[in-house]
Amino acid sequence: MADEALIEAQGLTVRRGNHVLLDQISFSLGAGQVVALLGPNGAGKSTLLKALAGLLPFSGELRLDGREASQLGRPERARLVAYVPQHSALDAALPVRDVVAHGRFAYRDVWGRPDRRDDAAIDRAMQLTDTRRLAGRSFSRLSYGERRLVLLARALATEARVLLLDEPTAALDVTHALGLLHLLRDLASRGALVMVALHQLNEAAQVSDRALLLASGHLVAAGSAAEVISVEPVRRVYGVEIVPAAQFGFRTPAEKDTPP
Amino acid sequence: MHPFYEFWRAALVKTALTYAVLLVLLVGSVALALLVGHGSLADPALRSTLLGLRATRVGAALLAGAALATGGAVVQGVFRDPLVSPSILGTTAGASLGGQLAMLALVSGSPLANLAVSAEMVLPLGCLLGAGLSLAIVLTFCRERTGTLTLILTGFILSSLFLALSSFITSLAQDSWDMSRAVVSFTLGGVGGVSTRQLFAVLPLVGIGILACWLWSDNLDLLLSGEDEAGSLGVEVGRARRWAVTWVAVLAAAAIAVGGNVGFVGLIVPHTLRPLVGVRHRRLIPACALLGGAFLVACDVIARVFPSRSELPLGVITGIIGAPVFLILLARSQREVSHG
Repeated sequence: MADEALIEAQGLTVRRGNHVLLDQISFSLGAGQVVALLGPNGAGKSTLLKALAGLLPFSGELRLDGREASQLGRPERARLVAYVPQHSALDAALPVRDVVAHGRFAYRDVWGRPDRRDDAAIDRAMQLTDTRRLAGRSFSRLSYGERRLVLLARALATEARVLLLDEPTAALDVTHALGLLHLLRDLASRGALVMVALHQLNEAAQVSDRALLLASGHLVAAGSAAEVISVEPVRRVYGVEIVPAAQFGFRTPAEKDTPP
Repeated sequence: MHPFYEFWRAALVKTALTYAVLLVLLVGSVALALLVGHGSLADPALRSTLLGLRATRVGAALLAGAALATGGAVVQGVFRDPLVSPSILGTTAGASLGGQLAMLALVSGSPLANLAVSAEMVLPLGCLLGAGLSLAIVLTFCRERTGTLTLILTGFILSSLFLALSSFITSLAQDSWDMSRAVVSFTLGGVGGVSTRQLFAVLPLVGIGILACWLWSDNLDLLLSGEDEAGSLGVEVGRARRWAVTWVAVLAAAAIAVGGNVGFVGLIVPHTLRPLVGVRHRRLIPACALLGGAFLVACDVIARVFPSRSELPLGVITGIIGAPVFLILLARSQREVSHG
């Protein structure tokens, strides 16, 4: 499944005024994998995700599922690419299920009536993210971590094949962070392309098949996670040494029988 | 039963009850407005004339209130700011200026007043043209990637400009007693002098405006997540914003054409209703139309029966009622925030 290219970027460049935020980024990513987007603060991770989601203007070529991105309308693009930002602007007193239902907007007609397929997608997304218990609560009254899970459920409800997540484990407790990483692997095994910006290199090593390493808007390394999260690239970009001697780690009960 | 469906059922019951109360309020205020006022309905010779005059007045208050409250709900959703009202766009000030210019042209015998438009339609037309001009300026700045701050600043600058020009017109009008009185009365708001023709000219604008906003409810709901997230979920953000701005301008112009410059309705009515019907625009917009209409009809009844030498301006009453109500709502929301 990994040979089917869902994102093909060629010379992707994002500018704000005279400032170049991303410079000539090129890569090709196939379905069925988790791709970690790495780099220090200000490297351009969030900018790249926003550009891929169609939220920032860019120059260069971008093809999504074989189609020129600029030719896709908003609803069409939303059915193909789902995006979960690092910080959501949503703070309304909407019931959680209604927030998740927003993920089905791109499938609705002008009357906005959900059909059975919408309900099934919403239920499935809430089940996968363990948010069914929050369904009737007001989004504005949830904790930060709970909000992150609900926003992930909203993205999953789109049934998009490409999932872009910006720092999804930030502010999640260890149980939910591990559960989420496990879920990302599960989604990839079902054929999705999951691209996830992460700060924690150990999380990236644990969850990803491939990795893109950015520094100051340039793509400095791309390849398998093991190649990218290795001594030399990490020293070059972060200026730190990898110490391969973790004394303990964590795993979910589901991962109990698999080696850490 | 799943907790969500229990919640959903409870919310539906609350919404249905709220709508029932709103309908009762509306019918009650309309009935009161028809029965109360100068002149006796017991006189058979006067009855039909009085009822006709009062019905026109009630219709004008209903339309203006519904339009302003709906416009308020929409702009508060688009800007994700509960403290804004339709006047934020500058189109309200534009409509008001247009109305004043039309009155000036009419009274001063300007050639503009000799167009193929009857005298009573000059005021609504002036309001629409004024709102249209300011809308054109706002839309020039309302591009795909224009931030809401730019839009708010554009509206603020336009409002300041149009208010300054309105003050200039008010000072010019002081040369004539009748003109001065008409301009001040228009500025303070009122539905007393509305004709049936004016009412029927404005009716389709309000009806279509409310329907247009209601049909875009889902877009407005998603814009509560901010423009980036709404865009990533499939909303054509620039288009949705232009649509909302256009129809709010039409609603504001229509309201001003029949009710003059009435403040606070667009601010407090959506605020009052959100805790009762929720923040989803599909339920909020019709509720706002009902309560906005009922509220302004009730305010007009107060204007008519308040013991004073002349009729109290509508804008004064909405301000006197609206300001404390808004402060109470604000205090309640602050208490909810501090208590989690």
